[in-house]
Amino acid sequence: MRKYKQTEFPKAHNLKCEPNLANPDELSAYIDKELPTWKRHLVRQHLKKCPICASHLQRLIHTDNFLRHAGDVEASDDFLTGVMARVSEVAQHQRQQESLWTRICQVIEISLGWMPNLSALMGKLRYNIRTRSPVYISILTFAVFTMVGVTLYQPSGDKFGEELRELNSEKVISLEVIQHERPKRLLTTYLHRK
Amino acid sequence: MFVSDEDLMMKCRKGDIGAFELLVRRYQNPLINYIHRFINDYHRAEDLSQETFLRVFKSASRYKPTASFKSWLYTIATNLCRNEIRNRSRRNTCFLEELVEEGEDVYHTEIMQDTRYLPDVLLEKKEQRQIIRKTLAQLPDNQRVALTLVTYQDLRYEEVAEILGCSVGAVKALIHRARQKMKKLLIKAGIGEEKVDEKI
Repeated sequence: MRKYKQTEFPKAHNLKCEPNLANPDELSAYIDKELPTWKRHLVRQHLKKCPICASHLQRLIHTDNFLRHAGDVEASDDFLTGVMARVSEVAQHQRQQESLWTRICQVIEISLGWMPNLSALMGKLRYNIRTRSPVYISILTFAVFTMVGVTLYQPSGDKFGEELRELNSEKVISLEVIQHERPKRLLTTYLHRK
Repeated sequence: MFVSDEDLMMKCRKGDIGAFELLVRRYQNPLINYIHRFINDYHRAEDLSQETFLRVFKSASRYKPTASFKSWLYTIATNLCRNEIRNRSRRNTCFLEELVEEGEDVYHTEIMQDTRYLPDVLLEKKEQRQIIRKTLAQLPDNQRVALTLVTYQDLRYEEVAEILGCSVGAVKALIHRARQKMKKLLIKAGIGEEKVDEKI
C-alpha cells in the first residue's frame, strides 16, 4: 500500500479543554454550519483562544475533506428505462384496479339510486382500510358490532312488573325501606292496577 | 423553470408519470451512491434504488407536501438497506466487492469490472476510495447513515433526524462520534494527517 504523507498535529488533542465552551459535538455541527448564529459566534471566539479545540477542529475538517474524496458511482444507462418500465406496469395495474372498483361502485349506485356519492364514500373507505389497516379495521369492526348490538337490543316492556312478580312480600317491604319514595309509589300503583 | 420535488410529487399523485420520471432523473445518482455506500455492492444498490423509486410511486397517494420529499425518499431507502443488511447477515453471505477487496477472487473481478464506474484510474485515488469504503463499513449503522447523509447527500441535521427517527441533538452526537471514529480508523489504515489550511 502506498505510504501517505504524514504531518504531525500538535499533541493538544490528548489534553482537555479547560473553559469547555465548545462541546465536542458542537465542533462537528460548526463544520456542517448547523449551529445558530449566536452559538457559531461563541464557538469562533473560543477557537481563537483555545489551541486544543482549534487543533481538534482541524483534524475533523481534515477527516471530512478526506471522506469527500470517496468518489461517486453513476447509474447504468438502462437504469431509468428499467424504473420507468416497472412504474408503467404498476400504474397500469392500479388503473385496472381502479376501473374495476369504479364499475362495482357504479352498479351499486344504480341499484341504490337514493344514495349520492357512493363511489366517493367507498373510495374513502377503501383508502382508509388500505392505509391504516389493523387499527382502522379493528375500530370499524367494533363500531359496527356496537351499532348492530344497540339496534338489536330491545328491553322488555313491563320490566318492573316482571321483577315485582318475582319478589315476595318480605322483599317488597325491604325494598320500601331501602329505596326511598319512588319504588313505594310504583309498587302502590302496581298493586292498585291489579 | 425549476419545479420543486414536492410539486413534482403532487403532479405524480394526480397520475403524471412524466413528473415522476423527472424525479427519478434528479435522484437516481445520489440514491445509488447512498445505497452503494451503505451496502457496499453496486449491482444490489441499483436494484434497491429501483425498488425505492417503485415504493415511492406506489405510495404517492399517501404523500403530503408538508414532509420534505428528499427525507421521505431517503427514509424508504434506509429501511430497504437495513433489511438488506439484516438478510445478508441472516444468509451469512458476502458480496463480490467484499471478496475483491480481500483479494480472493481477483480473476473474476478483472473480467467483470466495468471501467465506466471507475473513471479515475489513478492508483492513489483508487486506494483512497477502497480505504474510505472499508472504514465507512466499519462504522455502526446509525453513525454510517448519519455521516453519509450529511457528507455526501448534503442533508440538514433536521432531515437526518427525521430519517433516523431521533432528535437533532442525537444526530449531532452521532455525526461527531462517526467523524472521530473515522479519524482513528483512517490513521489505523495508514493514512496520516495533513494540515488543512482552512480558515476557522
